[in-house]
Amino acid sequence: MNCKNALRTVDLRISYETEEVIKGVNLSIPKNVIFALMGPSGCGKSTMLRSFNRLLELNRKARVRGEVRLFGKNIYDRDVNPKDVRREIGMVFQYPNPFPHLTIYDNVAVGLKLNKLVSSKDELDERVKWALEKSSLLGEVEDRLKDYPSALSGGQRQRLVIARALAMKPKVLLLDEPTANVDPVGTKNIENLLRELKKDYTIVLVTHEPAQASRVSDYVGFLYLGELVEAGHTFKIFESPENAMTDKYVRGILG
Amino acid sequence: MLNFRSIKEYLFVVVVGILSFLMLFPLFHIIYSVIVLGLPVIISDGPRFFTGTLSQGGIGPAIIGSFMLAFLSALIGLPVAFLVGVFAYEYPDRKLGIFVKMLLQVMQEFPTILVGVFVMSILVIPMGSYSALAGALALSIIMIPYVAVYTEEAMHGIPYTYREASFSLALTRAKTLFKILVPMAKKGILTGVLIGVAKVAGETAPLLFTAGGLYESYPQGAGGPVGAIPLLIYTLVQSPNPNDHAMAWGASLVLLLIFIGVFVPLRMSLKEVKF
Repeated sequence: MNCKNALRTVDLRISYETEEVIKGVNLSIPKNVIFALMGPSGCGKSTMLRSFNRLLELNRKARVRGEVRLFGKNIYDRDVNPKDVRREIGMVFQYPNPFPHLTIYDNVAVGLKLNKLVSSKDELDERVKWALEKSSLLGEVEDRLKDYPSALSGGQRQRLVIARALAMKPKVLLLDEPTANVDPVGTKNIENLLRELKKDYTIVLVTHEPAQASRVSDYVGFLYLGELVEAGHTFKIFESPENAMTDKYVRGILG
Repeated sequence: MLNFRSIKEYLFVVVVGILSFLMLFPLFHIIYSVIVLGLPVIISDGPRFFTGTLSQGGIGPAIIGSFMLAFLSALIGLPVAFLVGVFAYEYPDRKLGIFVKMLLQVMQEFPTILVGVFVMSILVIPMGSYSALAGALALSIIMIPYVAVYTEEAMHGIPYTYREASFSLALTRAKTLFKILVPMAKKGILTGVLIGVAKVAGETAPLLFTAGGLYESYPQGAGGPVGAIPLLIYTLVQSPNPNDHAMAWGASLVLLLIFIGVFVPLRMSLKEVKF
């Protein structure tokens, strides 16, 4: 489909029971960029991110209205299976959560195996290696693929989770504060990795640190109390924001 | 220098220590009596005590009966308990889920003798005889709520983020549950299984009207009557003959040894998953 945006929301509203937490957001995210969604804690960033891969449906109290278009197709249309959406969109979480009972190898392989996306052991091996290479982890774990993730550092675990997502060959990668539980060196590695990955993927990064948004993103959106206050090119938002609140936030006064 | 606060702290430790000891004393006393009174019986009878029938001075059929009942009740009860536990975990806010959780709690406290009576009325009377199957069914009814509650709690202990991770990999609810979350909760579930099996292996009351008791020959199959160590102890203690009382102490020691010998190592060997 000819469509320059990877993701686009149309009057997206999300409520938990009677409380509306996302209040009509219209947002466009171009292909092959890093889009940072920033805002203070509790403003609805993680909730909104989870509506992009229909993960919010795990919470029976959450209700989504409006549209989320993935390459032009509304993922909330009746004929769309959430499974198919999640195959197109990988996700990385705030707490580095590789499956602790699976080996490093099996963590990357698990989605492929259980979805029967590969036909042979060789193909699986190849895809696991490829995903680990892509998440620049292969060199560090090549000789201990049979170890458990508890042997890895926080930053390495997070890159393992990225590899787990990439192995499914998604088009979009969602990251929910991926460096919140990672030390500064690990954070730097992950940020460098994201810059590398945007060549092939569209990346949506949720962060509560404006500094991180300014370091890695091409576009940025400022979410405050469930509303998208301002969105645009990162340099523009940080150099000359139009909204007074955005200005306060990026200067560290608000939030 | 001792001030009031450190005296209070000291007193607190002493009181808690004494109370803990008082709590544990009966336990050690039981173990001590069983060994002191049971060991001479086993030693004087030798291997015959483990293999012989009751009139030969042995409890062989009861040992086999106990293992048979434990195995059969696990066969009936564990699959049901496991699925019920997973269901209660997965649907905590649906009406059926709430009902199931409440039912499990009630069942845990249910008088076990009534379970025996119930199984007698639905199985023993229609079949016209006591049977291993009836005993095992009664035991499995007692086992189910324990194992189900442990399963539910073990699953509940897994952080939500792993559930999200699994779904984000395009896995279905069934695959998330059985291929990801259950293996993660394995230790807790197996602990529940052990506790459930151990619990029913020591039961007497539900077997009174169901298993029948069989001590002069080895059990022939699931359809016929069967003995069990606790049931045998109960029977022997009722006898006026002091020799029977001695046998009961010996049987008690065997029961204790089975528990310590089978369940403790199994429980210790379960591997912990670190989150």
